[in-house]
Amino acid sequence: MISSCCRFALLLILLLGMLSTIGVARAHEHYEVVVNANVTARSLPSNSLRAIFGMRQQTWPDGMPVKVFVLADDAPLHSSFCKEKLSAFPYQLRQAWDRLVFSGTGQAPTRVSSSEEMFDRVTSTPGAIGYLEKSKISERINVLQIK
Amino acid sequence: MFSRSNSRANNPRTRVATLLAMAAIVWSLPAQSQVLSDTIKIPDFLSATAARMSALKLPDTVQVHGFATQGYLNSTGNNNVFGNSNQDSGTFGFREVGLNASVQLRPNLLISAQGLHRHAGLGSQDIRLDYGVIDYKAYSGENSQFGIRLGRIKNPLGFYNETRDVAHTRPSIMLPQSIYFDRSRNLAMAADGGHIYGETRTSKGDFFYQFGVVMPYVGGTTTEAALLGSDRAGHLTSQVSYIGRGIYEYDGGRVRLAVSGAQTNVNYNRGADPALLSGQLQFTPIIFSAQYNAERWSLTSEYAIRHTVANNFGVALPNSATTGESYYFQGIYRFTPKWEGVIRYDVLYTNRDDRHGHAYAATSPATRDPHSRFAKDITTGIRWNVTQSFMLAAEHHYVNGTAWLAPLDNPGVSSPVGHHAQHWHLFAVQGSFRF
Repeated sequence: MISSCCRFALLLILLLGMLSTIGVARAHEHYEVVVNANVTARSLPSNSLRAIFGMRQQTWPDGMPVKVFVLADDAPLHSSFCKEKLSAFPYQLRQAWDRLVFSGTGQAPTRVSSSEEMFDRVTSTPGAIGYLEKSKISERINVLQIK
Repeated sequence: MFSRSNSRANNPRTRVATLLAMAAIVWSLPAQSQVLSDTIKIPDFLSATAARMSALKLPDTVQVHGFATQGYLNSTGNNNVFGNSNQDSGTFGFREVGLNASVQLRPNLLISAQGLHRHAGLGSQDIRLDYGVIDYKAYSGENSQFGIRLGRIKNPLGFYNETRDVAHTRPSIMLPQSIYFDRSRNLAMAADGGHIYGETRTSKGDFFYQFGVVMPYVGGTTTEAALLGSDRAGHLTSQVSYIGRGIYEYDGGRVRLAVSGAQTNVNYNRGADPALLSGQLQFTPIIFSAQYNAERWSLTSEYAIRHTVANNFGVALPNSATTGESYYFQGIYRFTPKWEGVIRYDVLYTNRDDRHGHAYAATSPATRDPHSRFAKDITTGIRWNVTQSFMLAAEHHYVNGTAWLAPLDNPGVSSPVGHHAQHWHLFAVQGSFRF
């Protein structure tokens, strides 16, 4: 009886431990939302970010046109970004873009095939926004804080 | 408009030429070549052509997208869907091809147009301008925006109407026919006029709204057949109509709720029609929609009431006011991002006060079939997203009732003389490519 109680307690501690590490992992994401160096905004509310990646918001607060870059729907980084920053799943974003593109009410984001291409396109396109692993970020690109 | 689109559609040479032209454009586009080459293998000569063409780089404010779908349908009970599906070998007659272009002239000014060819039974064999819109965003602030659209605009009804012909945006090969019935699709698809639209973003969720004053599209024979029972000698003329939708999205679209509605006004000009007088039709659908999206599964339900009024058609079609009722429950489960299953229960009542058509049939049992007034459809399907651009799907329908069958493909469908079975099966397969 006592030993089973001990085992249960041990299991509970292990589970809680796992949950807390997951929490820590989520709190320290391995990527950032990045923008072209000419974008003056330094932070953005999360629902504005959602509108930008939902292709419904075409301008920055200062009026400059936004250019959105994304990885493929099944890229792990795209999936993490959707879930953690937009609180949506990749399939929902795809559905939203398809609704715009095939009803004539909007355009799709530009797809890039790798983080290297993401870096190149975001650094070379005025008004660009994308996401990038922290290890690939340099001073040539700005990080946007999401509130 | 009616006769022009019809005669063009009936000329096979024009049709083939347009299709070939569409195909040529599709294959040669730079955007296409890029998407294609990293998704599916295409023959070398096509890659080479695409590579040569990509030298003609489009400005990044221009986008071209398209889709092509081929379906196969096989059904039982003398009931035809999208062509002669009831024959032993079924039908490959279901085809959808669309090509669109859009230009973001300024951040607040978008122009777009789409050409659509759809072949699905006798009613739908044309090539048409699906939409052509000028979209001006008059205001765009941190938490809200507001704009206006002019031109031929897709009708914002329910969750699926605006992209109903794009296979990738449908949850199944056939949309729930209780609400998105294909037999009067021409009226439902798009309309010419103006819309205002906007959105407001709050910490409690996002609100989207749209309202339009439009002239509905009444061309083609299907609309007439759906509204008046057959392709008649006179013709329909569109009158000023109204349409609107509000959507609430919570937590990035985890919960989506919508209300949409329209008041569609159509007149009938009898011309040489010996039976009917020139009358008026008013069609007022209201749709309530709800959806819950999780990572693996999505639940969707829509409920519609449709009020239809017919006046002044003379003794052959006495004045009437009927209210139809429709609803469905649908579950989608994503086994993996590539494989998903769908299950749905979908119900249509032509007249909610006479759900099973008994009163309808009682007045003339020899010519009126009660089961032509309802349809209950249990659908199960599977979809394989082979690549981001290409998908295959298969589904089975077990249907009780014939209410949504198209009269043009099913002569005498409302009468026992037509021998259309009450209980029947439909099997469908579809391949679709989009870029």
